[in-house]
Amino acid sequence: MDALLRRVAEAKDRAAFAALFDHFAPRIKSYLMRLGAPPSQAEDLAQEAMLSLWRKAHLFDASKASAATWLFTIARNLRIDAIRREKRPELDPQDFEPEAEPDADAVITLAADEVRLRAALKTLPPDQAAVIEQSFFADKPHSQIASEQGIPLGTVKSRLRLAMARLKAALGDAS
Amino acid sequence: MNIRHHPDESLLLAYAGGASDEATGLIIATHMVFCAQCRRSVALMEKIGGGLLDTLPAAPLSAAARDAVLARLDEPAPAPARLPPSRDGTPGVLRSYLGGDLSDVRWRRMGPSLAYKPLFKRDGISAKLLRGAPGTEVGHHTHRGQEFTLVLSGGFSDITGSYGPGDLQIADGTLRHSPIADPGEDCINLAVTTAPLKFENLIQKIAGPLFGF
Repeated sequence: MDALLRRVAEAKDRAAFAALFDHFAPRIKSYLMRLGAPPSQAEDLAQEAMLSLWRKAHLFDASKASAATWLFTIARNLRIDAIRREKRPELDPQDFEPEAEPDADAVITLAADEVRLRAALKTLPPDQAAVIEQSFFADKPHSQIASEQGIPLGTVKSRLRLAMARLKAALGDAS
Repeated sequence: MNIRHHPDESLLLAYAGGASDEATGLIIATHMVFCAQCRRSVALMEKIGGGLLDTLPAAPLSAAARDAVLARLDEPAPAPARLPPSRDGTPGVLRSYLGGDLSDVRWRRMGPSLAYKPLFKRDGISAKLLRGAPGTEVGHHTHRGQEFTLVLSGGFSDITGSYGPGDLQIADGTLRHSPIADPGEDCINLAVTTAPLKFENLIQKIAGPLFGF
């Protein structure tokens, strides 16, 4: 997918764009519906996100994120925009010193990190995966997750902690 | 910057996932302006988001959706709207709500040493700026819902510790406190509340609701 995105960035390759669209647009729609967007809005925003990818492809930085992660943040911000109209609490990159630029080795490490992260996501125990998904997509207070699943609050918190520790370890980030 | 008080992991996850309400999103984003550690955490959580996105079951689009986008690829991109640069270092995420800089805020007085500026209220959750003169004591109160307080400049202290620029205090129904602004300079905070505060002092009990607290 990253290679397709590079072809869009470097050569405005429409066939590569169409392939990216076929893969990602239905998943973006699915994500936005989980966030509570009605299906028609989720479809509109998925289309907007892909159009945004076409326009901003030259800004894509493979040293910072994969195509999936980059598109995820574009889609998320479009949804926030849609709710908040023109105002949104989004970080302005001019507000702080940029992090040091990663070198070519870091790009390779990042790609490997994300592969390990995907693998770690798939191997999370179902109870940990459920807590991550509900915190992530639904913004449910932990007390609500606890009562819905019929488990104590402390269990929800410890599952989240365990899951985050596994995912961080997969990324080689123990902090 | 030495940040001692951070949002917990579930707040950062909801922010990264796009599930935060607007006011909570604003206060988390503003905290992140101060806090490189939380920016790194959210960047990591966004990678989790990318991973989840790739594995979500597809929700098929209508048959014409792809051609509709392909037909628009040659349209010119709309120009992004930007405010002129800040003169006093006000974080951009906050400036989009203020329409300018912190130093241009027209404060509403609330007694001799406290002032506030409402930003917005949606779905019962409100965001406002608070300014206390050095040494101002807010008065004992508890909380019906959650109260998030982010220090923008100056600082304050209460029974839970002391808070400086970038520090985020999370208070809920279990906390009874009376924050006092540190000496030296005005303490300016961004505050988000999910329900009105419960003041104990009679005058504040009457005045609180008038001011939207």
